[in-house]
Amino acid sequence: MKKLKKNILRAAFVLCALFALLLGYGAYTVSVNSNRWFSSTLNVYARQKRQDVIPGRILDRSGVVLASSDGEGERVYPDDEALRRATVHAVGSSAFNMKSSAEYFYAAYLYGSRLSFPERLGYALKGEKYKGDDVVLTIDSALNAYAASLFPQDKKGAAVVMNYRTGEVLCLLSFPNFDPRNTSAAPSGASINRVTQSLMAPGSTFKIVTYASVLENMTDYQSRTFICGGQLQAGNRIITDAGTDLEAGKITQHGALTLREAFLKSCNNTFAQIALELGDAALRRTAESFGFNDNFLFRDLVVENSRYPTSNRTDGEIAWTGAGQSALAVSPLHMCMVASSIANDGTMMEPWMILEARTASGGTRASFSARQYRRPLNAAQAAVLKDAMRGVVTGGTGTAANLSGVKVCGKTGSAEIDGQEQTNAWFLGFLDEPASPYALAVVVEDAGGGGSVSAPIARQIFSWLLSHGY
Amino acid sequence: MAKNASRRRDPARGMMAASMVFFFVGFLLLAAHDGEWQSFLLALIVPLIIFGGTALLPRLFPADKLLLSLTNFLCALGVLMLYRISPQRGLNQAVNYGVGVGCMVLCAFLIRYVRSWKALTILMVGGSLVLLALPLLIGTEQNGAKNWIWIGSYSLQPSEIVKLALLLCVSFLLSQKKALLSILFGGACLALLMLQKDLGTALLYFGLCLVMLYVSTGSLLLVGAGLAGGAGAAVMGYQMFAHVKARLAIWQDPWQYTQGAGLQLVRSFVAIANGGLWGVGLGLGNAGNTTRAGGIPEAYNDFIYPVILHEFGLIFGAVVILMYLFIVIRAIMIARRSTSVFHALVSVGCAGLITLQTFVIIAGNIKLIPLTGVTLPFISYGGTSMVSSLCLIGFLQGVASRNKAGVDQDRALAMHGGGAP
Repeated sequence: MKKLKKNILRAAFVLCALFALLLGYGAYTVSVNSNRWFSSTLNVYARQKRQDVIPGRILDRSGVVLASSDGEGERVYPDDEALRRATVHAVGSSAFNMKSSAEYFYAAYLYGSRLSFPERLGYALKGEKYKGDDVVLTIDSALNAYAASLFPQDKKGAAVVMNYRTGEVLCLLSFPNFDPRNTSAAPSGASINRVTQSLMAPGSTFKIVTYASVLENMTDYQSRTFICGGQLQAGNRIITDAGTDLEAGKITQHGALTLREAFLKSCNNTFAQIALELGDAALRRTAESFGFNDNFLFRDLVVENSRYPTSNRTDGEIAWTGAGQSALAVSPLHMCMVASSIANDGTMMEPWMILEARTASGGTRASFSARQYRRPLNAAQAAVLKDAMRGVVTGGTGTAANLSGVKVCGKTGSAEIDGQEQTNAWFLGFLDEPASPYALAVVVEDAGGGGSVSAPIARQIFSWLLSHGY
Repeated sequence: MAKNASRRRDPARGMMAASMVFFFVGFLLLAAHDGEWQSFLLALIVPLIIFGGTALLPRLFPADKLLLSLTNFLCALGVLMLYRISPQRGLNQAVNYGVGVGCMVLCAFLIRYVRSWKALTILMVGGSLVLLALPLLIGTEQNGAKNWIWIGSYSLQPSEIVKLALLLCVSFLLSQKKALLSILFGGACLALLMLQKDLGTALLYFGLCLVMLYVSTGSLLLVGAGLAGGAGAAVMGYQMFAHVKARLAIWQDPWQYTQGAGLQLVRSFVAIANGGLWGVGLGLGNAGNTTRAGGIPEAYNDFIYPVILHEFGLIFGAVVILMYLFIVIRAIMIARRSTSVFHALVSVGCAGLITLQTFVIIAGNIKLIPLTGVTLPFISYGGTSMVSSLCLIGFLQGVASRNKAGVDQDRALAMHGGGAP
């Protein structure tokens, strides 16, 4: 009987643990996910409630009103059409389900769900509609408008600028865009936010990750030279470099290279060899340390998860992966985070877009601050990559991004996409200046080489930032 | 003097008074909303049932009042939520509640007065196997599992009743040191449930047997072997049944299946997020409204807990979970005070069943584990479920009353100086 009672106690411990697990997991999942759940397009309840609320305003970081409401609760946008178009993907429009826009993601604030009981009572007693909270974004609307003016007409693409020390997103552009005042004229696909929602091949910008994997796994890389013979047979695939045209008999060859030189020239051949030598598992581990295959659960910003293939792969696929092709899929924002982690001495910050929420009477409802996402590199490794990325801009494929007087670092990419005439032009870069900690990613789709198309846009954005006190 | 002091401090009375007021106001709110006379009626009747179930019942036999008041609160909460979801179901559930309280008293008497369980056990073992085989022969399939039978216009889930028999039989067999027989019986029940494809209930039976085996034998080896067997069965179930595969896929990412079976989980998340800490208010939400947009399918059954979170909020939801926890802790206390192995095992079994069932369904609701269709004890809609949950409380009351009787006897003897206290 005594033993029985002891056993009962032990069993009771397990039963109580189950309850603790329920409460613990419940608290966890709600705190992590509830904003995501609330902003779901399936939230019929919130949509019905909007009729009783005058939505709060959406402001940029310097107080420019990007969206407000009239007395009926209808949205009012600023008079400048260029400004409206340049901020539409950050602000959102109620005409579309733009799930990573402020209009959706901060709906809980904008549409009055965070009102306290006394506030509700006050509105009810006065017989007024609820007034939602104002939301202040980290976005700089002037930067958005300027960057949008740099973008080539009629091209699809994306641009994002973030502070790599804090993760604040300053600029978020997606093309094609549309005018929120005239949503019926929006071209198809215009509501997609390419910065966060569009997954594409990173092309040569992924060589940053391959390089990082070398730093992690290959101890003797500094004493090694790699031979680029122009063509590399890997399994059933042939790795070639930009400029190669086999039918015309033209082959780009880089000859003998160090790793850094190969990075500066963005040599596919070398990075394919490296990928094969590292092996798929090691390369994937590094990619995953940068956030590939992770379920992004950021506080705000719904970001599509990046993919590094996990199934069994042929040598040809692995080789191309080292050079950033072959089933890799990543959003421009995530690549901007990759560049940011190099700039920020190996620490990747969580991207965020809401500075604070204010009550209708001007008080602070909630304010937010920087948060670390992960730490893919140590400071020494980050310094090696930083130096290599500086080399790309001073004497490699990215010289068009260079500015005199400041240290611009970067990496170009020209990603081949099936069914497209030209490559997607990528440029990742950052200012290696303590006073101006900004990183960016620019992608222009179907436009050509990253060095010639996107790097100049990046240079102008950097120069704008420096001349506007950033 | 001493009696008055103890009465004032009795937490069960405070709890009862509070829940009577809570439900009186709750139904009045619903009445203000819909203006139906049934709502006003329930505003009076439900507090009365609570009063009867908590304050009057203990006059029939020495009952555990705290356990009664907790149980009554949860049952009444079920009636309130169901009435809010669909008045017809709420009224039905009020009847189920009344019948359940009656069955609870019967079960309490059963445990209190039956001295020899041998004949009954043989009867129950036979009856259980027949009952579990019935749905396979004449049952109907619901949500992939074939576990219901219809008698006239009444439907019955035999596994809910057999659950009670299993608890009593295994307790008895184990108290007689017949572990092998109890394993055989439990195994046979599990096999029949697997054939019905009712994996949620199979999980409950399995957990129950495991807890009781451990408590009576103290053998971790046995538990380990059981767990290994269970894992094997789970893998087999996954390979054999398409609906298990589908459920697992939905569990991994319900957002991919919002056009189909993942919708209820996603709707439940959205409902929880809308509710926030304090809820949207009783009768003001949409999650329970199965016919309107945004409602959760099966809101009255598997997904009643998210509806509670939606309208009453997360804090209240946590309190509901704590109430289940207190019921379980109370059951453990009863088990530890009991004077015979059989009664101790019955009480532990009740604690185990209530815990497992609450855990399996709420964890399924919040995507901690894959969803399996078991009911939330005391709250989910359904006569069989309500009756079987209240029967468990009846068993506990029976054991508690015997414990108390033992203590009273001792005290009487001690007062007369007849024996050691």
